[in-house]
Amino acid sequence: MSMDEIFIVARKEMKGIVKTKSQMLMGISFAVWFSVMAAPVVKTVEESAVFDQFNNLLFYFVLMLGIFTAYLFSGKVFFNEKREGNIETLLCTPLSLRQIWSGKVVGVTIPAYLIALLTAALITIIANLFSTSMLLPSPAITLHIFLVVPAFIAVAVGLLGFGHFLLGMRENQILNISIFIVIFFALSFAKNVISGGYVVSWVAIGGLLIVAVLLLALISYLTRYLSKERIVTTIP
Amino acid sequence: MIGVQNLTKTFNGKTVLDGIRFEVKEGEIFGFLGPNGAGKTTTMRIILGLLKPTSGNALVFGEDLGSCDKLRRRVGILLENDGLYEGLSAYGNLDYYSQLYGISDREEKIKNLLDFVGLSDRKDDKVGKFSKGMKRKLGLARAIIHDPEVLFLDEPSSGLDPEAQRMVRDLIFQLSKEKRTIFLNSHDLDEVQKVCSKIAILHGCTIKAYDKVENLRNTFSKPIFEITLIDTADVRIASDILHSLDYVSDCEEDGLRITVTLKEEKSSTILNELVNNGIKVEEAKRLAKSLEDVYLDIVKHSGGER
Repeated sequence: MSMDEIFIVARKEMKGIVKTKSQMLMGISFAVWFSVMAAPVVKTVEESAVFDQFNNLLFYFVLMLGIFTAYLFSGKVFFNEKREGNIETLLCTPLSLRQIWSGKVVGVTIPAYLIALLTAALITIIANLFSTSMLLPSPAITLHIFLVVPAFIAVAVGLLGFGHFLLGMRENQILNISIFIVIFFALSFAKNVISGGYVVSWVAIGGLLIVAVLLLALISYLTRYLSKERIVTTIP
Repeated sequence: MIGVQNLTKTFNGKTVLDGIRFEVKEGEIFGFLGPNGAGKTTTMRIILGLLKPTSGNALVFGEDLGSCDKLRRRVGILLENDGLYEGLSAYGNLDYYSQLYGISDREEKIKNLLDFVGLSDRKDDKVGKFSKGMKRKLGLARAIIHDPEVLFLDEPSSGLDPEAQRMVRDLIFQLSKEKRTIFLNSHDLDEVQKVCSKIAILHGCTIKAYDKVENLRNTFSKPIFEITLIDTADVRIASDILHSLDYVSDCEEDGLRITVTLKEEKSSTILNELVNNGIKVEEAKRLAKSLEDVYLDIVKHSGGER
């Protein structure tokens, strides 16, 4: 599988996302909103727990915002391509279905990850405004932000793309609503976990990384079951 | 170049194509005709490897396009959807596809193509602002950006206003002069008649006719002659003579002209009959039947669709 073709598709999708102002604004607005809402929590905890609280915020919100942004961007890249019918022309180019899927996954993952990094930066800045001591991410959280988060964003995009290609329009709409509800509850759950005083360990980060890699391998394997016929016959 | 053998396709137990077969040779402009919903697009999708046949096969260059990625570099397509991205400019769209096809001299190629379709002055405009006709022309440019040997066009002028239809048709005509093999899916008989050398008519899941346009006209249409007489006094007599012939199915008078429909090819006999009876004939000419007449005859006589 040639990487050149994958990057051609990825580059086009990235440019498309970045140039769609409404989408970028929505992604950035969510990053700002959740950072502003979540980060001041560091002033409510005891001095000894501030560092853990700050790292927990980064652990949950950077991951969640990354996945949520991936969900926002995937709709345009996979769902619209199918709804508008351009996918049929793309499938007649020399690219294989897996190359198209991979290119789109890379093309969505990168801008979604940039929003996740923006969230990390905003949480760090705002948390420091409310803290008496200097707050920086722990090494485990740094690894989480630079490896686990992009891996999970890629998993989310891959899975959404797989679903969008595999399912019909009605099923896709149900899928979109379901994912939105799941993310909504996940964000609420994150708040509970943060206030519960958990400490994110190296083991947890390592475990998550392994899970992300396994999920990526599984989704990549699942794309073998995607067929051009399935895609073409589910175009509205 | 394109070979379709005993092709059958069923969707949820419903047969859409039933054992169709035809062949398109190199350099041929092949028209695939049929009413809406006859299965033309399904046939094209199978040939392009987008759908799998239930039985039989559809090969291009002797291979299945669906399983041979590299072979698709030699094929260009314009489906009902133009395959254009509305958020990209005309240039951006052609640039994207030229990268996918691995074209090296992209800038020059795109410039020439935009000139060819008359959109050079709109190259930086977003396709979302284009009219349907302009999109179709750009779609055609996109389809030929990699110089394909075979071009598949699905209803290229469908839904366009007459002026845009003519523009698209002129472009196809120009392409046909470049000795490309063109597979034209259409229900526009006029378009097919003007451009195609050979046609197949699909109706009721099967191919009802498959031949050169001229041969089809001759095979499926009854011979019609227009005879112009010199003397008005002869019109009545000539008409009576013609009506008495058992191979004449119809005869209509209009001034000095008599239009005769024959049951079989007997053009020389009919003239002999008139001349031998002292009728002075100024001119006798065979009237060409349009493809539309032939098409309607075939569709009417083959009954309804399944």
